[in-house]
Formats: sequence, C-alpha cells, structure tokens
Amino acid sequence: MLIFKLMYLIRGYVVIRTDDKNAEKVLNILRRRNIAVWDVEKKGKGIKFKISYEDYIKNSNLINEIVNPVIKRGAMLKLNKVKFRKGFSIGLLILIISLYLLTSMIWDVEVVGTNQTNTNEILGLLEENKIKIPVSISRIETKQLETLIYNNFEYKFVDVFVEGSKLIIFVREREPEPAEIKSNEPSSIISVKNAIINKVIAKSGQPVVKEGDVVYEGQTLIMGIVKNKNSDEFMMVPSDGIIYGKTYYNFEMKEEKIRSVNMSTNKSKTVYYLKLNENSIKIIGDKDPYERYDYRESVIKVPFVSNITDISFLKGVYYEEEIKKIEIDKQTAQNKMKVAMYDELLERCDDDSRILKSNINFSEDGEFYYLIAQIEVIEDIGEKIRIFPIEEEQTDETKED
Amino acid sequence: MSKFNNFRSKLADELEIPNNALSDNFELRMHGNKKVIIENHLGLTVYDENMVSIKTNDQDIKIKGSKFKIEEINNFKVIVKGNIKEIIFSMKE
Repeated sequence: MLIFKLMYLIRGYVVIRTDDKNAEKVLNILRRRNIAVWDVEKKGKGIKFKISYEDYIKNSNLINEIVNPVIKRGAMLKLNKVKFRKGFSIGLLILIISLYLLTSMIWDVEVVGTNQTNTNEILGLLEENKIKIPVSISRIETKQLETLIYNNFEYKFVDVFVEGSKLIIFVREREPEPAEIKSNEPSSIISVKNAIINKVIAKSGQPVVKEGDVVYEGQTLIMGIVKNKNSDEFMMVPSDGIIYGKTYYNFEMKEEKIRSVNMSTNKSKTVYYLKLNENSIKIIGDKDPYERYDYRESVIKVPFVSNITDISFLKGVYYEEEIKKIEIDKQTAQNKMKVAMYDELLERCDDDSRILKSNINFSEDGEFYYLIAQIEVIEDIGEKIRIFPIEEEQTDETKED
Repeated sequence: MSKFNNFRSKLADELEIPNNALSDNFELRMHGNKKVIIENHLGLTVYDENMVSIKTNDQDIKIKGSKFKIEEINNFKVIVKGNIKEIIFSMKE
C-alpha cells in the first residue's frame, strides 16, 4: 500500500469530499467505472476519499456532477503548473546551466611563491599547452601540469591544485647553491675538526701533515703553494686530496624512568561552526568541553554554495585526554638512547665515515637511566679553501682566505 | 448459491485451483481483527464508522466494530480497516 501511495504521490491524486448521505452509492458508481478509490474516511455526514489524477481527468464530468474535488496533490500536478510558466522555467534552466558552467570552469590562475616575471612565463607556458582561461576543470590534469612546469623551470617544488574556480600553482624556487671552487683555482685543504691524522692521500699540492699528527680545526693539511722545480720561486696550485682523521665524539644522555603521557579516553565532543569568509560563528556544541583535549577540525563544503561564496561549515572534534604515568623499562630506555646517539652522530659526521671503536656505558639512579659513550670515527676531515696572492708587496707570499 | 455456481465451485475444488477462478464466490481474508480483505465483491451497501456492509454474489457481509476506514476499493476487492468485532453473513432474499 505504501508503494501504491508513493506512486500516486508522484503521478498525482485528487482528494474528494462529499456530503451526500448516500456515500455508498458514490463509491459504487466509481467502482463500476473501474476507478480505484483509497483512503475512504467518514467525515461528518459524508465521506472523504482519494482517486488518481488520471481517473479524475477521464471522468471529470461525472465526478463534478456527484462530488466536489477538494485538493489536488502530487509531483506531476506541480510540474504541470510549472509548464505554463515558461519564463520562469527558462530562467530556472538558464540559472542551473549558468551555475554548472560557473562552477565547472577555471576562471583565474594564481601563482604563489615567485615574482611577476616568472608568473607571466608560467602563464605563457600554460597558453602554449592550450590551457587558456576560462578552461573546464575536467581538462586540468594537475599531475601533468606539475611535471610540465617542473621540466620547464628550475623550481625546487611545484604543486598544482584547483580550489573552487581558481587554479593555484604553488612553486618554491631553488636556493642559490654555494659557489664551488673551480678545479683550476689555487686552493688549500684545511681541517674542519680536531683529529689525529690516519691517512693522507694528496693528489696535488704540498701535504704538511703526516700520519699520527694531531691537528686542530682550521689547520692547513695540504698547502696550495709549491716550489717550482726549475727555479726558487713558489707558485700557487689547486690542492686536491683526501685526509682521513680519527675523531672522537662524546655523548651524555639521560632518559626518565617514569614518563607522563597524554592518553585518549575515547570520549569526544563535536562542535560545528558556520564559516563566513574568515569569521566563524558557533552553531552547535561547546568550546573547550574537557580540561585536557586534542582538537581536530575539518571543513565541510556545501555543494555549489561553497564554490560561489566563502560559506562553509567547520566541524571541530574535542578528544578527551588524560595524563598517565608510564614506567619505561631498562632495555627500552637503553635502546632509545642508543638510537638517539647514533642519529646525532650521523648528523655530525659525513656519510662515508666509519666507526672504529665505540665505548658505551649505561648507568641509572632513582629517576633516570644514563648513557655515557665515546665513539671513535674515521672520516674525511679536509675542506678546500681558495687562496689569493698578495699583489701589493709583489712577493710570492699567499694569504689564506 | 445458484446450482451452476455451486458446480463451478466443486469443480475448482476437484481441480485444486483457486475457487474464485471458476466460481463467483467471494474470498475473505482477515489480518487479526484489524483488517478484512474481500475479493469478488459487488459493492458497498452500508458504510459507517461502526458498520460496513458489502454485497457479494449470493450473500451480504456485515462487518461490525468501530473506527472503520476503507483502505482501498476497486472493482475486484475491498479492504476494510478498523476494530472488527463481528462479521455476519446473510443470504440474499
């Protein structure tokens, strides 16, 4: 019966009321005419019932003779009314098409992270690749655009995304790399760390240290001034070579035995805001419902409306948290300190460094676990620096920069 | 019940097919005491909140009770809803 009623809600039905005392007679006449009648109710002296709109139209003469229709309902009837309002219908259609077009096209391109000149170059590149504004959103392949821009410009990072009817191109320019010393420029190699020399491999230049020497930070290892074999004059040459030195790193670390951590209680409360431009108006829920909480929010966009205007909803969820004390066992603490120590060592050493010897000691007291370690590493300690001749004195003396 | 109708009813029983497929007999179904479905009827004779009378080929069916509504009525069946207290079958005079 529900399906039957729903069907006639769409196709349309007529509610009829009659005050005739012989209501049965009316129903029997309709039945004989093969008209389906439903929801017959007694109303005062007469009755009220429903018939389909189709039957009403077919038998309107008869029905109007014996009864009076009260209300006409149903989707088809509403549509029939609209059919006659041609201007309204056309306007509505144009509005829907306009909305669809406005929201499915890119109307503006914004380049973030570079200057105007580069922006014009990027826009020129897009035009060359047949992307002219306005363009359909479906034609924009963001990954493809990213690759195209990345290949044509020397950017460190490119991100392309569509926000509403705007194409946003986010770029990060490469930082200028430090000027490298050309191989034919006079240079010396100096030590960057305090170390004991382990091995000297000098390809050019004059080595001034040998195995077993103790060198300090800034000390010259290979000098770029050599004596000319054919004369007594000194000349400046580019130095090249690798000097391996033993370096020592000392670490002292501590880890708490009992640590306080924030744990979720699985309770949460939600708050909703209406977001208009940059302002937020609270609609449902309370702010800061818990003493300790983790707050996360997400934006809910309204289809069509959010694309045209800056109106959207903001959903914030407060997850309740409580502080719990956790006891850290000895092995975990030691492993953690060890990992942290090696991480720090990696940051301080070069990639091709090699650990020669490590001496790690653990201890503990009432509150903390301790790590005391000394790591012996072999690594390249040399760094090339450029040297310049002193022109004023017209001598062969050089000065390290 | 006419003799010919009686014969058709018996034949339907023998052939194990629905009775109202061959005969003019009505079929009455009840859902508890809230709903009555009568098929093969000939129309209403009385409709009131406390009583509904339905004409069939050989008999008049009187349904007594309260708050009666006719959920659906067409050429074939009638569905009566309400609190049914009594159903009386009376032979046509």
